[in-house]
Amino acid sequence: MRTRYSLFGFPGIIFGLFLVIIFLTSAAADNFDQLRKDAAKIKTIQARFVQKKSMKILSNPLVSEGLFYYAAPDSFRWEYLKPLRSVVIAHKGDTKRYIASGGKMIEDKTGGVQAMKIVLNEIAGWMSGKFDQNPSFATTLKEGAYTEITLTPVEKNMAGMIEKIKITLSKKETAVKSVKIIESANAFTRIDFSDVQINKVISDKTFQDAE
Amino acid sequence: MKRIFPLILITIFLTSCQSLPVINASAPPADEKISACPFPFLKERYRLIHAIEIRMAGNSPGAIIGVTLADPATRLISCAILTAEGIVLFEAEEDAGLLKVNRALPPFDSADFAQNMIADIKLIFLAPAGKIVEKGILPGGAAVCRWREEDSGWIDVLSNQPKYIEIKRYSSCGSLKRHVKFEKTDKNIYQKIELRANELYNYSLLMTLIEAQPVKEELLINKAQGKKK
Repeated sequence: MRTRYSLFGFPGIIFGLFLVIIFLTSAAADNFDQLRKDAAKIKTIQARFVQKKSMKILSNPLVSEGLFYYAAPDSFRWEYLKPLRSVVIAHKGDTKRYIASGGKMIEDKTGGVQAMKIVLNEIAGWMSGKFDQNPSFATTLKEGAYTEITLTPVEKNMAGMIEKIKITLSKKETAVKSVKIIESANAFTRIDFSDVQINKVISDKTFQDAE
Repeated sequence: MKRIFPLILITIFLTSCQSLPVINASAPPADEKISACPFPFLKERYRLIHAIEIRMAGNSPGAIIGVTLADPATRLISCAILTAEGIVLFEAEEDAGLLKVNRALPPFDSADFAQNMIADIKLIFLAPAGKIVEKGILPGGAAVCRWREEDSGWIDVLSNQPKYIEIKRYSSCGSLKRHVKFEKTDKNIYQKIELRANELYNYSLLMTLIEAQPVKEELLINKAQGKKK
């Protein structure tokens, strides 16, 4: 199980993060009860993202771009458009991962799907705004010029993979400033979201067709 | 049973060994100019990032991002494997034959994986550590140079005009272990690479170049900093 979690848990974590971010942003509040109430109002989310991976071996960050979709209660699509096209789709309790091969999107059946379900179950807590109650992370919220949320993994299997997650958002703006996933002193991933649209209709096909 | 077992082993050994492909019109060995041989290898320090599709017998394909930092002068190799999502699954370096694994998450945490991966990277990007022992033409018409490796085995580097440059690594008893194909394009020689491995579990890698850039003093600086620590 550890294997699959390592390989495929990351998108799940990102899903969860995104939802946390959106909840926090829409709430613009500093108490968790209010966030839970606001979370219930969100039916759909869609956004673009740019991911910058920094590590010692890279002189410049490796930049990836993609799209994110969510529809309540449990449909996700996390899609990388470049440099390596891949899609993770969760819909009606079924989770699938696809990769581009020979010009087509083919299903990755390496066994990560089961693990994705477990991860998605974990973040179901986040979906309902209960991210401060998730036993996998210790959560702190710091107010300043920006609101900064820090998630620190408490479970050993994730602690080996992720050291800390920092979410920074502006109090005034409705958009998130940044998400930084810190793996070690020399390796981190920064994700910037843009064109965030909340409660706009998303076709069911988005969660059924990988192409 | 005790008497039969060695016989079985000998039989397996003999049947697994094959003869190397015959090279015709072979030129005098070793002292010939190396420039006449196909040379798909790096000539200076380079950083290369590839999208890699992995295919293993009996498994569906997987996709990763591979980062390689290679110095042909010192044969220093640094490498990393990332998921599309950006998580680092594996990170290692080899300097002067010493392998150091900095990070290895499953399924890349087996004892042999790091060594095999570094060996594959060297095969693709660095000229063989050995001598050219034969040159000529293969029966199919491809120009070939045959290297004798320092440790064991042979490496054929061949040019199939106009489509491919190929590398074939043979074991000491002549069985084909690796086959690398570089697609000849107007772009970088490392734009499209295919590696096929013949092992207990066969696998192939289809590598598509994302980024390639020469590296100036970075490797030396990192090395010096490492030694200070």
